[in-house]
Amino acid sequence: MRGGCTFVTAVNGFVHSEWESLQMVQTAGILFWLIIIPYCIGLAPVSFLAEEKRNPGIVFLAGYFTMWALFGVVTIPVVLFVRYDNFILASNCFMALGIVCAAAGVWLTYRRRRFGRQGQRMSIKDCIREMSLAERIEWILFLLLLGFQLYKAAAYASFDGDDAYYVAASLIAQQADTMYTILPLTGRHTGLDIRHAMAVFPMWIAFVAKKSHIHATILSHTLLPFVLIPLTYLVYYEIGRILFGRRGEGQQAKESDQPDQGRQWKTCRENLPLFMILMAVLQIFGNVSIYTNETFFLTRTWQGKAVAGSLVIPALLWLFLLLDNGRDRQEAGHGRTDAGQKRTGAGPGVWFLLVCVNMTAGICSSIAVFLVFILMAVSAVCLAFVERDLKVVIKMGAVCIPNAFYVLAYLVVGYSYLLQ
Amino acid sequence: MWGIFLESVVIFKNYMGFHQHRYLAFLYLAILLYLWFAEKDRRRRAIFVYAPTLLLLLFFCPLFRKLFVRLLDDSETYYRLLWLLQMSLVSAYGVIRLFAAHRRIGVAAACVAFILCGDYVYDSENITKAENAWHLPQETIEIVDLIEPEEGRITVLVPADLIYYIRQYSTNIELPYGREMLVARWEYHHPMYEAMEQAEVIETSTFTALAREYPCAYIILKEDREITEPLTEYGYELYGQVGEFVIYRDRET
Repeated sequence: MRGGCTFVTAVNGFVHSEWESLQMVQTAGILFWLIIIPYCIGLAPVSFLAEEKRNPGIVFLAGYFTMWALFGVVTIPVVLFVRYDNFILASNCFMALGIVCAAAGVWLTYRRRRFGRQGQRMSIKDCIREMSLAERIEWILFLLLLGFQLYKAAAYASFDGDDAYYVAASLIAQQADTMYTILPLTGRHTGLDIRHAMAVFPMWIAFVAKKSHIHATILSHTLLPFVLIPLTYLVYYEIGRILFGRRGEGQQAKESDQPDQGRQWKTCRENLPLFMILMAVLQIFGNVSIYTNETFFLTRTWQGKAVAGSLVIPALLWLFLLLDNGRDRQEAGHGRTDAGQKRTGAGPGVWFLLVCVNMTAGICSSIAVFLVFILMAVSAVCLAFVERDLKVVIKMGAVCIPNAFYVLAYLVVGYSYLLQ
Repeated sequence: MWGIFLESVVIFKNYMGFHQHRYLAFLYLAILLYLWFAEKDRRRRAIFVYAPTLLLLLFFCPLFRKLFVRLLDDSETYYRLLWLLQMSLVSAYGVIRLFAAHRRIGVAAACVAFILCGDYVYDSENITKAENAWHLPQETIEIVDLIEPEEGRITVLVPADLIYYIRQYSTNIELPYGREMLVARWEYHHPMYEAMEQAEVIETSTFTALAREYPCAYIILKEDREITEPLTEYGYELYGQVGEFVIYRDRET
């Protein structure tokens, strides 16, 4: 009897330790593929950004967009040209490429630091110390709103019929190692459905699920919102940082009698937490219909189309502003930063990021490619009009070249039956 | 052309929730109008004023809609063009500019206006308390755990309530038909679906004959589903029950 008890205890202990080690593998996998790798990849393009534009938030955003673009580059050809076990091939290639890019990012950062090309940056502590009490309260309010959205994402299930396709597609890739050869809705074998097959965002979810040993549905519904919601707010934060200029301008305006003090108040950094609060409120109360991007953002966070509407499109606006921001300062003749470093405009990194964000639209949804193309075209025309400079249109056009190949592949594969 | 324009107007009204008396769009349009006069920075004007206005004009342009639908072969997703307006960003930016002199009171008033004109996303009928980490109905998980084979795949006939969820939990369960049958506007037809869901009373002999064509290893019915004769008289055995769902196993497969 005692021996039996000991055996049961040993088995329980073994099962318990197995469970614990599985949890450790899962946690390590999630941290590695959702935090460490994107951050390290982001270090590479950020090395080509102007010094004063670099911050950990931008590194993360740059990392995610570069990683997704890489994923598209690797996975879409595999989906189109490889029929069997295509997920294994795509995930192995992406894993290798991702790790190489992450290593390159770390190396570039190390090289930059070694040769002393590093700006002075305020720590978070200093930033908080500089804030007024009211500002701190406003930031806390915003964080509460963000926390509320994350809590709702984890504790509440949101039903959406499209999950029967997208989440099941991720799960098939994870469990059967194949992409888009099995119909997610029923499990029957199927031919290539080009409209869905080129939007490989569910395959990226499957990749993370596979590497972290987490069920793709749990990853989609419960864990990914913890990444995608903060990432979206990070884009809004970066937009706010550009729109609401520099710290102290508001205070200066208050204390001085300058005629343009109204303008300074409108653009001062003290507005940033209020801007973020407004953004959070608008997301929570933006559900005026089931079609709005705000509704998609909070109810279908894990779906590619939601990422396109709430992350990719605002990211394009952020990069347009970042481009202008760099040019603005150059034109204003601010040759040097406060720390005494030379300004270089926005830097080629911004154009690279524009390409990556455009390519990310392609992995999110094939319609998103057309949408971002329209946005790029309209914005290019408007910017060219205000700048009186047609070069903007040419540059923006060049950014769209990878997506032009995407559309070409879409049309060739989608309408190839007409050629037969 | 006029007809196409009117279609765009209907899509716009549906997107903005006018039929449900949601007027966030009016706030957005008012703020956009304010920015037309107030925004002096030419580049911000291009991004936050000219581009959204041009996009709105494109949205209502019949020729553009015709081209969009023809190119994408899809008219259902035209509303997504409105995502490019980024109403939240423009509205938040405009509000901060508008209330620059009285920022906190202004923002508080704007929040109240947004709350009154908008709609709280979490009171949607599609959002419920999660029962598990998968965010799927617990019954789905219990049913699949009960019938899932250790190796290989099986086909299972399930009621419409479970169709969305089964394959999100396990892809070892195949279905004779999927979610496509539940969206009426897609107009799919499937004899098995018609026998299972559309018949007022399930006609057992034809129903079982159809189910065996796949073959369905299990049939799951809601306990109140009417059926002419019990499945047990046609080679099925009662395998178990989870909540309101009764599971029958086909002894012949």
